[in-house]
Amino acid sequence: MVKGEVVRLEDVKKIYELDGINIPALNGVSFSICKGEYVSIMGPSGSGKTTLLDVMTTMMKPTAGKIFIEGKETTKMSNAELASFRGKKIGFIFQTFNLLPKLNALENVMAPMWINGVPRDERKKRAIALLEQVELSDRMYNRPNQMSGGQKQRVAIARALALQPNIIVADEPTGNLDSKSGTLVMDILNNLHKKEGKTLIVVTHDASIGKKAQQQIIIKDGKIVSGGAKVCNQL
Amino acid sequence: MVSDVIIESLKNLRREGLRTFLTLIGVVIGIAAIVSMVSIGAGLGVAVESQLDALGAETILVIPAGIQNIRTTLTDNDLRNIEGISGVDSLVPIYSESGVLEFNGEKINVSISATDARDAEIFDSTGYFDVGEGRNFERNESTAILIGNEIAYNYFEKPINVRKQVTINGEEYKVIGILKAQPAAFGGGPDTGNTVFMPLDGLKRISDKENPGIIFVTATGKDVVTDTADAIKKLIEKKYGEGSVIVYTTEQILEQVNMLLGVITIFIMGIASISLIVGGIGIMNAMVTSVLERTKEIGLYKAIGASNRKVLSIFLLEAGFIGLIGGIIGVMFGFGMAALIAVFGGASGYALSAVITPEIILGGLGFAIIIGMLSGFYPALRASRLDPVEALRYE
Repeated sequence: MVKGEVVRLEDVKKIYELDGINIPALNGVSFSICKGEYVSIMGPSGSGKTTLLDVMTTMMKPTAGKIFIEGKETTKMSNAELASFRGKKIGFIFQTFNLLPKLNALENVMAPMWINGVPRDERKKRAIALLEQVELSDRMYNRPNQMSGGQKQRVAIARALALQPNIIVADEPTGNLDSKSGTLVMDILNNLHKKEGKTLIVVTHDASIGKKAQQQIIIKDGKIVSGGAKVCNQL
Repeated sequence: MVSDVIIESLKNLRREGLRTFLTLIGVVIGIAAIVSMVSIGAGLGVAVESQLDALGAETILVIPAGIQNIRTTLTDNDLRNIEGISGVDSLVPIYSESGVLEFNGEKINVSISATDARDAEIFDSTGYFDVGEGRNFERNESTAILIGNEIAYNYFEKPINVRKQVTINGEEYKVIGILKAQPAAFGGGPDTGNTVFMPLDGLKRISDKENPGIIFVTATGKDVVTDTADAIKKLIEKKYGEGSVIVYTTEQILEQVNMLLGVITIFIMGIASISLIVGGIGIMNAMVTSVLERTKEIGLYKAIGASNRKVLSIFLLEAGFIGLIGGIIGVMFGFGMAALIAVFGGASGYALSAVITPEIILGGLGFAIIIGMLSGFYPALRASRLDPVEALRYE
């Protein structure tokens, strides 16, 4: 494990099996992401970028290869270990927000905390602070259907930060937003990276977002065609 | 931690108000059906037992029977012989006759039961009848009678009240009491509504009958009842032939009635089980639908750190709570239904009562929770094993 390395993939393969037919999605992907780095993953539809994200974030097991997160080999962990590890180390932001519709903003932000055993009082305190950070103090008791897309995505960002993870993963975070809301969301994410030193990994179609990243990984047909050769040795 | 899951499960149920409510209905109906049926069944058992209890466990009924249509006539000598059997404490012969009762010029046919007035208490203590108005016999009042409810109020143009004079077979009698209407009882019992009760001295004025229609024998103890009953049967049959007498102990009657009740209870349980199965399928259906609808939610829980076990426990707890809440409401509804059935049954003359025991309550609740959790288990297990990615992208 190289010093300063947060994520490392070694020859990761993923093959989907559908009705007995093997469909390769990742064909031996290797790269490293350094601590505090802003990385974008880009590529055309069907190139395997979402599969890459799912495998990298332990949401899905790879068919072959090794994955390390903060020095721990996640490919060796059990499902239960993975769940708790994932909850604490990685904050997720989804294109479709994935807020729980029956919960208000505050409860949505508190959800990862109760799942992971944060005490009751602490949960509320932290959730309120996070919603203030994403400028939604006045929307705490609104349910998702009472909020705009941009507001929902900011709630999702607050939720991703609930367990103070070092890694924030965003899958097309602006994909469902108008440009103004999209800019606001990206500004918040950029701030997390710049001011709080979070490692930010963004999957995007949007070249203007992708280009701002320190490392740009471009993937096509399950293989990296550009980027991914970085060696971490700073810090 | 554990309390957190409980609190969040309860909150989830509240948030999913309509779905929770519809699932609850299924549990409530199933449990209410079972509880009401079991409650009525238990009430039936209690009613029969209390009636037979009134007879006393030491009581033996000796009824002269007929061989080839000739009824055995027991003589005073036979009674003395029975009294002489070891194990017999005392006996009360009851004499039956029929007669014509006349009041205000109207006449009807009635049954007459008589016993020595010193033993008249036997009617009351065995639950044979209950004096509603007036009083029971106190001494050998040869002109005093007690009349059944039907005779007093239904047969004559004007009701026969206490202290009225009537004639039976031409002789004058004074009504000293009127019996309470008795519900038709399960174990059977005398039709007291249509009967006139009088001391033996009173009967002697209109009849020369000397053979008792039934004899209440009291044994010296519970443990000798069966032997004593056998000895009585042997004694009579030795003289009059086999089948000349029917001898019952309270226990024997109870056994027969219990057997009948057992059959009824099994029948009732069968119907109740069907309703519970239907209820259970309803619960399972609701649970599976609920899990399918919440697939995305499960995916999210897993993405933010919930293990399979945690997802399983959340869903199982929710199912268990639905069972518990449905069970509580179901038990209350069931008992309410049983009570209503008992009230209507009582009004129609049947001795029904709704009985609620800790066993019925705990059984009902336990059953509801188990059914809830069992029906919730499969969908919850499925939910817990979902791949987080698949679950999140589920549409």
